[in-house]
Amino acid sequence: MLQTGKTKIVLPERIQRDDVIRVQVVIQHPMDTGFFRDANANIIPPWFIREVQVQYGGAEIARFEWTSGISRDPMFTFRLRADREGALTVTSRDNRDNEFSGSAEIAFTTT
Amino acid sequence: MPSLPLIERRSFLRACGLVGAVYAVEGVAGGLNRLPAAVRLTRPDPDDPPPYPNETVKRIMTERFQDRPIRHGHVVLDMAEMQEDGRYVPVTIESDLPMTSGDYVKGVYLVVDHNPDPLVVAVHLTPALGPVALETRIKLKRTTWIRAIAETSGGDLWADYLKVETTLNGCG
Repeated sequence: MLQTGKTKIVLPERIQRDDVIRVQVVIQHPMDTGFFRDANANIIPPWFIREVQVQYGGAEIARFEWTSGISRDPMFTFRLRADREGALTVTSRDNRDNEFSGSAEIAFTTT
Repeated sequence: MPSLPLIERRSFLRACGLVGAVYAVEGVAGGLNRLPAAVRLTRPDPDDPPPYPNETVKRIMTERFQDRPIRHGHVVLDMAEMQEDGRYVPVTIESDLPMTSGDYVKGVYLVVDHNPDPLVVAVHLTPALGPVALETRIKLKRTTWIRAIAETSGGDLWADYLKVETTLNGCG
């Protein structure tokens, strides 16, 4: 089901201390540019995510400035050095001042 | 239906064949020298001068980098140079620049010259991250140069350029 702002974070199955892991984030959002028209020739107003913040254990580790040039249902990945256990939180804000966030727990596998 | 004499038809076809053969030979010989640039050239040579920025791109460069020199290298912009759909264009930016607490990449910028808003993504990084390997999906309006620029904490700028062709407008 479509749910604007739903944020999904994909982590590798097994994480060990000091691994460099690939983190994939998918946010559901229309990312309308404001240049397209609907079937009745009405302009679809711009609606896109402006800013994305990534926090790891409460500290900001990356910040993304976006424009409407990002595709619908944005996806991005980055590499993270997993040196401590904690929550990885992605907070995004769009041009209508809606705030969305999603979180995933980074926990080390014990074996 | 009037029937044409056989000999007339035969000579006509022979003449047609001859003309066709001449065109074919000329086409192959002459065509090789004027293949479209996209076929002849895949990746720009590292020594090539960077593509000339248009007004908007120049303004963004001045705003963000204060006209510091941008050198080619250390950054790889990885994407297919032919894109069928301008709405979903996968992009990968990688770099071998160090990510230590003293020397790291603090910003990565993706500039699409002919998009309505050329600075598509600006990423601010910290040394908590691993080596730079960013993937995302962007929109393209039309065939354009794309620049991936990395800014180190020391203020050095490294870039990679790629010309990407697209037919379906993804920006409206």
